[in-house]
Amino acid sequence: MTFKVLNPGMFSTIQDAGRFSYQTFGFSPSGVLDYKAHKLANRLLGNEDDAAVLEMTLQGVELLAKKDTVISTSGAVAPVTINDKRYTHGSAIKIIEGETLKIGKCENGSRTYLAVLGGFDVPPVLGSRSTHTRSGIGGFKGRTLKNGDVLKSIGGDFSEGLKKIKPFESDNIIRIIPGQQYDRFKAQVKRKLFNSEYTITKDSDRMGIRLNGPELETDEGHDVLSEPTQLGSIQVPKNGQPIILLNDRQTAGGYVRIATVALADIPKLVQKSPGGKLAFKEIDVDEATKIYKEELTKIDSGEYFEDLRDFTSIRRHISLKISKLMEE
Amino acid sequence: MDIRRYSENSITIYIGDEINEDTNKKLVHLKNELEKMEIDGVSEIVISYTSLIIYYDIFKTTGKDVENVLKKMDLAKLEKRSLKYNLVEIPVCYGGEYGPDLALFDDNGLSPEEVIELHSNTEYLVYMLGFMPGFPYLGGLDERLFKDRLDNPRTRIPAGSVGIGGKQTGMYPFTSPGGWNLLGRTPIPLFDENREPQILYEAGDRIIYRAIDEKEYKQLQQQVEDDDYEVKITSREAN
Repeated sequence: MTFKVLNPGMFSTIQDAGRFSYQTFGFSPSGVLDYKAHKLANRLLGNEDDAAVLEMTLQGVELLAKKDTVISTSGAVAPVTINDKRYTHGSAIKIIEGETLKIGKCENGSRTYLAVLGGFDVPPVLGSRSTHTRSGIGGFKGRTLKNGDVLKSIGGDFSEGLKKIKPFESDNIIRIIPGQQYDRFKAQVKRKLFNSEYTITKDSDRMGIRLNGPELETDEGHDVLSEPTQLGSIQVPKNGQPIILLNDRQTAGGYVRIATVALADIPKLVQKSPGGKLAFKEIDVDEATKIYKEELTKIDSGEYFEDLRDFTSIRRHISLKISKLMEE
Repeated sequence: MDIRRYSENSITIYIGDEINEDTNKKLVHLKNELEKMEIDGVSEIVISYTSLIIYYDIFKTTGKDVENVLKKMDLAKLEKRSLKYNLVEIPVCYGGEYGPDLALFDDNGLSPEEVIELHSNTEYLVYMLGFMPGFPYLGGLDERLFKDRLDNPRTRIPAGSVGIGGKQTGMYPFTSPGGWNLLGRTPIPLFDENREPQILYEAGDRIIYRAIDEKEYKQLQQQVEDDDYEVKITSREAN
């Protein structure tokens, strides 16, 4: 075992890239909401891109290390401390058996990720380690973490350079592609969608982000025959308040869909917290494909990293290297 | 065939705009054919009442390429082929604690025995799965069994429950809240991650319910616990 959970945070689940190929059987893809943060956390450690990480919502966890390993954090900035000493968020940090790792409140987003060398080790279900809490499958026993849970990791050798994730600015503009029933909405209703701000409500979760703003009404009805849902589908139920579907969504839905959020903007979107505001901008599917490709290429290229200059974290790495040499 | 793109990595095909067996058959044919073709980059195909979504890797193929493959397919020709499907028999213990709403069908002028008779003697077509993993959207429910959902949905419906909601019948693979009228329950796990197949049916298959008594329910339950049970699945061919 690698960690014992001393404090599980608010809603912390093990997730990998998601459970695909089973949506036709009704399995929600689940998986990390912020795919960019997931990849960056794994890359800091030299893990496979798909390695399972811990996704923490608004509030981090407290873990007791049961063996030596290397961890990294990404996504929303949160204070990272080991035995009360602060380290750099967005970098790889060595942790020694007996030390306590504490991740605090999210400061500029709503999801912080914790990766561990090799990835968290839970049995894959239908090819994925992602938790889907609604059906209780995958991840750690199909649920959020609790006090006393014992987490295992796959482990490996750490040979990555000392780097950290660059801080990035975020705005509230979300690009969207016209959806299945876009034409059911009159021009003046579409104008409302593009010229107003929508506020994220408190009942948003991993299934969907519920918005509050000017009503999007249609005379042609808000119901359709149940159809497969997609990540980022913006469905509009009868009350005219849009819901953006996320990873834990039901795989079929019967509400009209006015648009789909561009995949390139999903990481930005899922980091918004309740009370946050969104503005929408229309793009076509070809443009969306282009920017999504660019985004994935950027993540792959290492462009989101910079050299680690934080003294404490560097010293920790160096002193650990020396202590390791002395052991040998 | 109406071909559309609503996201970067998917293409949607619509066939018709209403629920019917013919449309389902076309979609299943199309899905089978596309899977057989093993198009490079295509990762997942999802079926629903009147449409099919094809997901692909944008670094391996493009929406245009997938669209071209689709345009070359001869749906009329595919339709003429016979279609293989499975008939899956689900044993159900009707009434009692397993089906607390059986007596409500008194309002429909039906005795519990008549409800069981009508419900268990039909082969239901699986149009699609959704709502929760393994939850089938079934077609073919006898009109006499149509019944509005409960005014006060239950907070907890046990896994395996079989019920009726409006014009549909179906079953809950997982324990969940819900407003359906419950007729009975099956001891067979509708999802079992250690079983092959994990889900017993897919779109295009048919389901038949076999009425069992409580004694057989308990026996089957024990067999499930011992991991020594069989589900009757018959392979069929339709023209």
